[in-house]
Amino acid sequence: MKRIAILAVAFALVLAACNGNSDATTTVPSGTDDTPPPAAMGDLLQTVIDRGSVICGVNEAVPGFGYTDADGNFSGFDIDYCRAVAAAVFGDAEAVTYRALTAQQRFTALQSGEIDVLIRNTTFTASRDGREGATFLTTTFYDGQGMMVRSDSGITSIDDMANLSVCVLSGTTTELNLAARFGDTPFTPLTFDNNDQLQAAFVAGQCDGWTSDKSQLAGVRTNFPESEGGPEALTILDETFSKEPLGPVVADGDSQWAQVVNWVVLATIQGEEWGLTSANVKDYDGDNNEIRRFLGLEVTTDEGTAVFDPGLGLPTDFAVQVISQVGNYGEIFDRNVGPSTPLGLQRGFNAQWTDGGLLYAPPYR
Amino acid sequence: MTGTEISTGTRSPLWRNVRVIRVALQVMAVVVVFGAIWILGTNLRDELIAKNLPTGFDFLNQPTGVTIADSSFKPSSPVWAALIAGMKNTFALTIVGIPLVTILGTLIGVARLSTNWLVAKAAAVYVETIRNIPPLLIILFVFNVVILPLPAPNDPATPLDWFVISNLKIVGPGFTSSPGAGILLIIVILALVAAVIVGRWRTRYSDQTGEHHHRMLWGLGVFAAIVLVGYVVTGRPVAFSLPVLEGRVITGGFGGLGSYFAVLAALVIYTASHVAEIIRGSILAVPRGQTEAANAIALTGFQRLRFVILPQAFRFALPPMINQYLNFTKNTSLAIAIGFAEITLVTFQLIGNGFPAPQLILLLMGAYLLFTLTISLIANVINRRLQLVTNR
Repeated sequence: MKRIAILAVAFALVLAACNGNSDATTTVPSGTDDTPPPAAMGDLLQTVIDRGSVICGVNEAVPGFGYTDADGNFSGFDIDYCRAVAAAVFGDAEAVTYRALTAQQRFTALQSGEIDVLIRNTTFTASRDGREGATFLTTTFYDGQGMMVRSDSGITSIDDMANLSVCVLSGTTTELNLAARFGDTPFTPLTFDNNDQLQAAFVAGQCDGWTSDKSQLAGVRTNFPESEGGPEALTILDETFSKEPLGPVVADGDSQWAQVVNWVVLATIQGEEWGLTSANVKDYDGDNNEIRRFLGLEVTTDEGTAVFDPGLGLPTDFAVQVISQVGNYGEIFDRNVGPSTPLGLQRGFNAQWTDGGLLYAPPYR
Repeated sequence: MTGTEISTGTRSPLWRNVRVIRVALQVMAVVVVFGAIWILGTNLRDELIAKNLPTGFDFLNQPTGVTIADSSFKPSSPVWAALIAGMKNTFALTIVGIPLVTILGTLIGVARLSTNWLVAKAAAVYVETIRNIPPLLIILFVFNVVILPLPAPNDPATPLDWFVISNLKIVGPGFTSSPGAGILLIIVILALVAAVIVGRWRTRYSDQTGEHHHRMLWGLGVFAAIVLVGYVVTGRPVAFSLPVLEGRVITGGFGGLGSYFAVLAALVIYTASHVAEIIRGSILAVPRGQTEAANAIALTGFQRLRFVILPQAFRFALPPMINQYLNFTKNTSLAIAIGFAEITLVTFQLIGNGFPAPQLILLLMGAYLLFTLTISLIANVINRRLQLVTNR
């Protein structure tokens, strides 16, 4: 009995300590006297430069986005954005340390400073922005949630799926959308914390449907074992039942680092708009001052010639490094998930604004 | 007291007084421990505030938006209800698992001491293999090799029409309950108490008169009579039912998810190997003279075990067994690997969906503490009872 009492007191003390200032947090804005100031501007950028590599939190199980091959090499759309950040900061796209994270681990890793940036098909939502201490940057991939079923199941719509079972990765927005989409319709959700065990359950027929972002489904579909019929055995239903804007995430409190990562993404988008590719960006010698500013080339103005520096904390030629080493948005898309890859995704919403898509980079001036 | 102050006659100074030192050291230890806990707690709170993360526990009343398989939990229900649903699933594993572990472990422990060479060796191989495999691997093995190969839920097996078996769900005969079942449950508990009282009375009666007590007969009779009357009075709230399959919906019967049975079987198999060793050791710890005495009064092998050896062996076995029960409870958290929604999976699910991790992890630790302390409490009460018998 004594032991129980001691443990109870100890436990209550921790809870009390944790709860003690809960009112203060809602009323006291951060930065006042009794709260420690947020990390000083530029701390993380300097830390990253001193360290010599960017620590990037990624996925390892979604072909096309973040995937490790048998030799442990990372590749994919998200991985290329990690490389782009390294190219911008160091001029070396290989200066990246990858941390493979599960969906559940990712925000904790970001909050604790274990990673510098999270690029792991992470959906931008209000509560994640607010409650997870995360800053979401420019969306790199506009996705939506879909449902994948066996081609021979006869299911043509999610409305056919009452009382069936659906496999979903736990700790994801897809889990919430799934519950909302089914509403009062009874179904059995089976939550797994890794894609491999989920696939085993799906192959065994334990779940009738597999729900996730459509791009992810396309990725795992290409990887579906031939012994089970290969990609043809699976159908992704037409319905898209959520908005899933995916993009890089950094921790709150360091706006300079957020700017750096943000403008790396914007540079790939701007580069494509101007037709700058990894093949031609280094040879640009035109007289378009907008492009010359963007590439850190000398610009002639009334006061003479100068190199434009927007003050982001990046080298003035970072866009050249990003595009020459990693590519513009279109190149990154086509290389990893585009029509010529096994995933075979079309640009859709992920086209330039000039082509009716959602990609739109603010002016670089 | 005068005898202790020998030569000087002056009292020793306070800092050399043994009793004062003892108390002071204890006070210091308490201060250090609680101070450390307080520092950790405030440190956590300050870090959370610095990172602009929520402290406090207000989130417990917010709707979760998640679903939990095979439970009445709705996405609109609050966070605390999700945690309760998770605890129910953990409880469902331990309440069924611990008796099974005890029975299987005892059987194997006894078998290992069998004079039959084959039985003894089979038990030895079981113990030596299973207890050297991490429980996580056994869970993955049972799930992937035993449960998943079962028929898919769109074409389940229905042996004897008594069971509906698929890799999603396994349902067998059970009871359906209607309102009034709660009252019946209370009546059953009362009947149990009445039976025990009657049994005690019969024992006393037998001690006084020397007549045979027939306490089992009396106890069961009283129990059956009360339950039967209660059953009729409450309007027959419980009925036997077989699972019925309509399309994909199974109604009636009693069962659980395939992943539940995978975790249950794997952990029972694993923990029983440890319990078997405890039982074996405890039997060997019973003095040899007890066996010889039992043989001398011509007890059969079974009688010797049942009335002489095991009652004494269990007394040695209980404290280490409690440890195994606690291990079983804690190992249920491994169910997260195969997606069974016990308390750990639910907690991580909530963390992944934007609820604060430090607070939820604290609650998770509290939940396990609650489970393990309850088990130790019950086991310690039993232990004390057994110990009293020896001291009498």
